[in-house]
Amino acid sequence: MELKICHMYPDVLNLYGDTGNIICMKKRLQWRGIDALVETKPIGSKLELAGFDLVFIGGGQDFEQEVLLDDLHRGKTDELRAAVEDGIVLLAVCGGYQMLGSYYETYDGKRCDFTGLLDLYTVGGVKRMIGNYKFQCTDSAGGSTIVGFENHSGRTMLGSGLEPLGKVLAGYGNNGEDGMEGAHYRNVFGTYSHGPVLPKNPEFCDHLLLTALKRKYGSAELVPLDDSAELAAHDEMCARVI
Amino acid sequence: MKIKAILAILLCKALRLVSRILRRGGTAMPGRWALKICPELLGYLAKDVRSVAITGTNGKTSSARMIEEAYKQAGRDCLANRSGANLLSGITTEFAMNCTLSGKMKKHYAVIECDEAASGAVFRQLKPEVIIVTNVFRDQLDRYGEVTHTVENIRKGILGAPDAVVCLNADCSLTASLAEGIPNRVVWYGIEPGAVPEQESSALSDAAFCIKCKTRYEYDYVTYGHLGGFRCPNCGYSRHQTDCAVESLIESDLLGSTAVIRGIDGAERRVRVNLPAVYNLYNAAGVYAACAEAGIPAEKVVTALSIFKCGFGRYEHFDLGKAGTTMMLVKNPAGCSRVLEFLEGTEGPFSIAVCLNDRDADGTDISWIWDADFERLENMKDRIVSAAVGGIRARDMAMRLKYAGADPERTQVIQDYEKLTDWCAAQECPVYILPTYTAMLDLRHVVVKRCGGAEFWEG
Repeated sequence: MELKICHMYPDVLNLYGDTGNIICMKKRLQWRGIDALVETKPIGSKLELAGFDLVFIGGGQDFEQEVLLDDLHRGKTDELRAAVEDGIVLLAVCGGYQMLGSYYETYDGKRCDFTGLLDLYTVGGVKRMIGNYKFQCTDSAGGSTIVGFENHSGRTMLGSGLEPLGKVLAGYGNNGEDGMEGAHYRNVFGTYSHGPVLPKNPEFCDHLLLTALKRKYGSAELVPLDDSAELAAHDEMCARVI
Repeated sequence: MKIKAILAILLCKALRLVSRILRRGGTAMPGRWALKICPELLGYLAKDVRSVAITGTNGKTSSARMIEEAYKQAGRDCLANRSGANLLSGITTEFAMNCTLSGKMKKHYAVIECDEAASGAVFRQLKPEVIIVTNVFRDQLDRYGEVTHTVENIRKGILGAPDAVVCLNADCSLTASLAEGIPNRVVWYGIEPGAVPEQESSALSDAAFCIKCKTRYEYDYVTYGHLGGFRCPNCGYSRHQTDCAVESLIESDLLGSTAVIRGIDGAERRVRVNLPAVYNLYNAAGVYAACAEAGIPAEKVVTALSIFKCGFGRYEHFDLGKAGTTMMLVKNPAGCSRVLEFLEGTEGPFSIAVCLNDRDADGTDISWIWDADFERLENMKDRIVSAAVGGIRARDMAMRLKYAGADPERTQVIQDYEKLTDWCAAQECPVYILPTYTAMLDLRHVVVKRCGGAEFWEG
């Protein structure tokens, strides 16, 4: 078996150790004897998602956002949309998550159009929502408890038909108000969680991998791994953020 | 003003006395209270003091130690914030500790390292005669935000001291961009093309796109990270010609490097830098330029570079364990990757401990450990005798090492610093400890008790 992973915009969306998510997926596949093929798609490259099973988009700085949007609007948005509707597994973190929405409105009212792949939008706030946090994934998103680090001033609002990824147990989540965190649509998982999110939450990582494998091979199983190192880090933070 | 200042000085000195009786550092707290009485205390005290200030992400402390030694060589008695308290409060404390009760300074020179975000508040009052900006890398994103914010913070700082000569690292596109929009005279320093082994340009650059027009830079060569011969193909923004630079590297070993530096006078001199790695060559070049601007003769600087003692935890050696222990502070991905690169260059077996804290001074977000190149340890696998992790976030570090290829069964979690010191003492081979800032202070305290050395506030 093999999974083909597309790392979108590693050249600009690479803040906060998000590369750790790629390292994590790759290792957890390899440890089970499953091949992991990672291809990076920097700005200016062709996306060509056919054949890919999983897409990862990280968070970035505001500074490069323009460069990125120019590139996205050159046909990549449509390609991504088609892949999403086709059930590709997509993990988007922080800036990458916001980008899946329809727009970002800055604190002073300037609006920046995003991809509109998901029915959500983000409004800039004055207060930065920052710190270790914890949320419980919905059953449809695997149901695991996730610990991570959030750092965003944007407040994200989900459209009425869009499911959150989970319910905030401690911290801010999407907007610090409605108790929701992230978004989940088909096989798209959007979250504010850095950390990076996957290594410390092996159950969530495996949920993504298994979803991708099932989509590709019809049925699939993941051999359990010895996750004591991962769970030690997970549990410690779980106990700390209450 | 004067009465307020005197009250503030009194308070500062009294609080320091209490701190020391309680065996605490008291390096920043007294100044914090003093500033409440007299917010302009630093300006009041610094007005007749000639200062060199160093700011930037990496290299502040090492550069400061080099300059301090050069001042000593030149017979200039100077004060310095050696403890690393580099915000307005800590710098104010240092000045207040070096004046009489009436506010008269006992020293006429100062070497001050200054936090990037604090440079606005500090430079305005300190009015340094020379400012060095070492480099700008990603660092503590939870505190500083984006690298461009750091650049703007430093720019604000420089604008508060328009008469200062500013020494800028020409090889860092972020630092070099400071030259625009400031009235100051700029002196450029760097490492000349071909002087040090080239590196592949990193996929994880902290500055891949032109800070002026957002086009991807092209590079003639990379020394490390995003430093090197950058050039924007669109707007033409590119590495500035240097006034002072490392022209060639003659040799380098675990203890330091020997290089040829061209000064602002155009003369080339052979220099031994008493700390290893390329980034200390940058520090040396910046110091060389700054000292010339501050009127220190070149031969004094050359001597200083060869004998200066590094700051706490910066390649600091301790007589602990059969083959000694070296502490190498790690704070951010760029610096940490350089330390790992240094380890790769060593020979023979060694043991390694990484201590990760997430206090405010370390950065509360520890995600950066995934951007640091711990994968290099895989190439050293056969040489690593034992591995340990410590600090508040030891478990996250253990997990990082697992994903970098280490056998988790063989990574010991030792969070107690007494026990970690025992572990070091029991090693037969050289031990390298990579601690974050507050982990370094805590561990060092224990190590110093065991085998001697100064407490961090004693200098």
